[in-house]
Amino acid sequence: MRSPSGPFTWLLRKEWRELMASRSWWVMLLLIGPLVGMAFISAVRTYGELSGVNGTVAGVGEAFSPLIGIWAPTFSACELAAAFLLPFVAIRLVSGDRQSGALKLELQHPMPAMARMSAKAIVLLAAWIIASLPPLLGIVLWRLYGGTTYAPELTAVFAGHVLNAGLTVALACATAAVTDHPSTAAILTLGVTVGTWILNFAAAVHGGLWDRAAGYTPTAMVAEFQHGLVRLDAVLVACTLIALGCGLGATWMRLGVPVRRRVGESLLAGVTALVAIVVFARVSVSWDLSEARANSFSRPDETALARVRGPLRIDVHLAAEDPRRVDLEQRALSKLRRIRPDIQVRYTAATSIGLFEQTAEHYGEIWYELPDRKVISRATTADGVLASIYEVAGLSPPATAEEDVFRGHPLAAEPKGAAALFYAIWPAAVGAAAFWNRRRDS
Amino acid sequence: MIPGLHVHQLHKRYGSIAALADVSLTVREGEVLGLIGPNGAGKTTLFECIAGVLPADSGTVMVKDQPVPGPDRGSHLFFMPDGIAPWASQTVRWALDFTVGFFGGDAARLAGVIERLHIEPLMRRRVGTLSKGERKRVLLAIAMLTPQPLMMADEPFDGLDLRQSREVGTALREHAAAGRTVFLSIHQIADAERVCDRFVLLSAGRVCGEGTLDELTALARARLAVDDAGRRQGADPNGLEEVVLALT
Repeated sequence: MRSPSGPFTWLLRKEWRELMASRSWWVMLLLIGPLVGMAFISAVRTYGELSGVNGTVAGVGEAFSPLIGIWAPTFSACELAAAFLLPFVAIRLVSGDRQSGALKLELQHPMPAMARMSAKAIVLLAAWIIASLPPLLGIVLWRLYGGTTYAPELTAVFAGHVLNAGLTVALACATAAVTDHPSTAAILTLGVTVGTWILNFAAAVHGGLWDRAAGYTPTAMVAEFQHGLVRLDAVLVACTLIALGCGLGATWMRLGVPVRRRVGESLLAGVTALVAIVVFARVSVSWDLSEARANSFSRPDETALARVRGPLRIDVHLAAEDPRRVDLEQRALSKLRRIRPDIQVRYTAATSIGLFEQTAEHYGEIWYELPDRKVISRATTADGVLASIYEVAGLSPPATAEEDVFRGHPLAAEPKGAAALFYAIWPAAVGAAAFWNRRRDS
Repeated sequence: MIPGLHVHQLHKRYGSIAALADVSLTVREGEVLGLIGPNGAGKTTLFECIAGVLPADSGTVMVKDQPVPGPDRGSHLFFMPDGIAPWASQTVRWALDFTVGFFGGDAARLAGVIERLHIEPLMRRRVGTLSKGERKRVLLAIAMLTPQPLMMADEPFDGLDLRQSREVGTALREHAAAGRTVFLSIHQIADAERVCDRFVLLSAGRVCGEGTLDELTALARARLAVDDAGRRQGADPNGLEEVVLALT
């Protein structure tokens, strides 16, 4: 048993054993199988039904992308687990030491507090990767059904959920270290999660800075990863928040340091993180890893858009909650920003819902302006926006090559064996593993 | 003896309550020092402040005349708190292995400590399932396996029956004789008198006396001699119990 391992290795082992001894961990593991299974089975059925009508002509092919049809809903179950189950596992691992008195013993080792917190974070990350096995089993099943997979987009989805879990772990570690009791930490953690939902709601109503901030909430970030879009700024901001959470956790773990000093250090860390986030938010690099190029215009269009000279200004006369504005953002402007980060988009509306502005002058118009030309349109589709931009720039629309159209991967398959795997075999395997783990040391 | 650790003017307040006021004391190398005081005297607070797991408002802890900040004290001393159940889901065997591995203790001492504290039958039990007395012996084993020159234990006899108290007392004396300085917080006077070389008396957060039993007896006599009416109040203190009553 004794080995020449260093203190950090011992700490890692201890955290791992504490995780294995935690009921919340086994409960999360038990529940995540059926959760993922329900989402996967439902997605495969719907995908199969849609595939059965042979609707794979150009233009609707995106609907038959496994990324959107299968993996986004399947992995969404992980998002639920990350929001409502993982915090309890993380809080147990951090608060447990404080509650049992183990922290008072371990603090007497002259190890940096950040190393202690890192050991917990590493173990929790490993725990999350294990908890991600059910969606990975879903991928295996999908392949067995004859479905296709595209590794880059699957990697993006998986990475998005790992980052999301990292945010949850960091938040839970920070709240567990700051508060005296696990239940307080749980309330705080869930409070922050609900707070991000409120932020998303405020963004939908008010737009502007709210919208910008909401782009970095876990929900928004995961949604982009699930569509195969990897934004470097979102990754950097997430990593900063994870580092901040772990740093706060490490700071408040040091029981021997006066509270006033810990508060000062926390404020300093918070301000540093805020500055870093502001800087990172200016990064505009992103990658569309989806096979369907769901977040990009076609390659010829991208080449043409890159040739548009001068700063393009777009004035949108649509209210924040107007569905046309949502369409415009998601179908066109988000893609446009990836190619032309220099575009200036300005929204103009007197109200947030726009219901009573419909007859107002200019409402519904979208103005495209270059220094010497201006075009007004009402189209909110990607094609309509592109046509307006080409018109204002005096460019001819490029021809779309047939090979650039994503035809999708229809698959009319039944989710055979999935129910048995996720509803019976997985829970039984988790139960057996928990029992074996319990028996191992006694 | 060379001073091993010196506590200088330690202060600690909890809001309006002064838990420790101007506490100074010396722990000499190789001795067994007992911190004696009634419940609520501030013994645990003092130990936690010395160990650096609770911030003191002011004061210094010096080792060999050099101030040692709280986070660095783990290199010089190990403090075992009272009433804890660390790593409750783990077996006693693993907790002891972890102590040796994590703190860099001497693995060769493991078998001896297990035997001396009679914890072999507990090795496969989980720490959280132990009775108070069993857990106390395991906690002492953990403390005795740590490598720091000074070992501090809060209420090492609490929860132990008479026989166990005597055995643990003997084990602690042997531990000190093997070259380790031991500082114990004790409220059972008889146990303290049997185990400790010197004593620090603490009452209401203040040190009321420090020294051997003879030195404290002399101090108690002197206090009695200077009573306001010029008369001696009561009989001469006899034994640590009466000394403590006289001085605290």
